[in-house]
Amino acid sequence: MNSKEVENCERTRLELFLNKVQLPQKYKSIGIVMVTLSFMAISIFKFINDEPLWIGPGLKHAMLLGLLIISLSREKIEDEMIETLRSKSYALAFIIGVGYSMLQPLANYFIVLILGEDDFSSNIGYAQVLLFMLLIQVGFFELLKRTR
Amino acid sequence: MKIERAILNLTQDELAQKIGVSRQTINSIEANRYVPSTVLALKLSEVFGKPVNDFFNLNEND
Repeated sequence: MNSKEVENCERTRLELFLNKVQLPQKYKSIGIVMVTLSFMAISIFKFINDEPLWIGPGLKHAMLLGLLIISLSREKIEDEMIETLRSKSYALAFIIGVGYSMLQPLANYFIVLILGEDDFSSNIGYAQVLLFMLLIQVGFFELLKRTR
Repeated sequence: MKIERAILNLTQDELAQKIGVSRQTINSIEANRYVPSTVLALKLSEVFGKPVNDFFNLNEND
C-alpha cells in the first residue's frame, strides 16, 4: 500500500471533495471586509427610521456571505491538522446552533416575562441562526488554531 | 519524536517543510496534543529512517 492509497483509505470521498471546494486564502480578507462593512451599515441603519425595506435583509445576507467566504477560505498552510480543527469547529457550531435555536425563544419568553411586555415571539429568523452558527464556527476555528 | 528530530539536527520548521505540514502541527505532535494520520506517521518514519513504533507508542489506556 503506497501513501496515496493509505490517504484515500483514511479520507472519505466527501472529505476529499470538501477540500476541493475551498476558496484561495486571499478571499479571507474579502470576507472580513464584507462582514465589517455590513456590520457597520447595519449599526448605522439602526438609527435611521425611514430606511428602504430591502436594506435590513440585504445587509444580513451580505454579512452571511462574508462569513461563509471566511469559513470556506484556505489557510496559508492547509495540512491535516487544520482540516481536523476545521471539522471540529463545524461540529461545535452545529451543536451550539441547535442549542441556540431551542433556547433563544425560551430566553425571549423570560425576558418578556420579567419586563412585563405582551409581544412575545417564539420565532427566530433563519438568518439569525445561520449568522450565529457561522460566527461560532469562525470563532472556534480561530480559537482552536491558537490553542493547538 | 523530539529526540529523533534532535538527532538529525532539524528544527521544527525544517521538519515541517520536509513532510509538508505547518510548524504548529509538528509542535502539537511533539507536545502530545495531536495524533498524526497514518500517512504523516509514515512520512516521519521515512525522514527519521526508523519504524513508526520507535517514536509513537500506545499508552496503557489505549
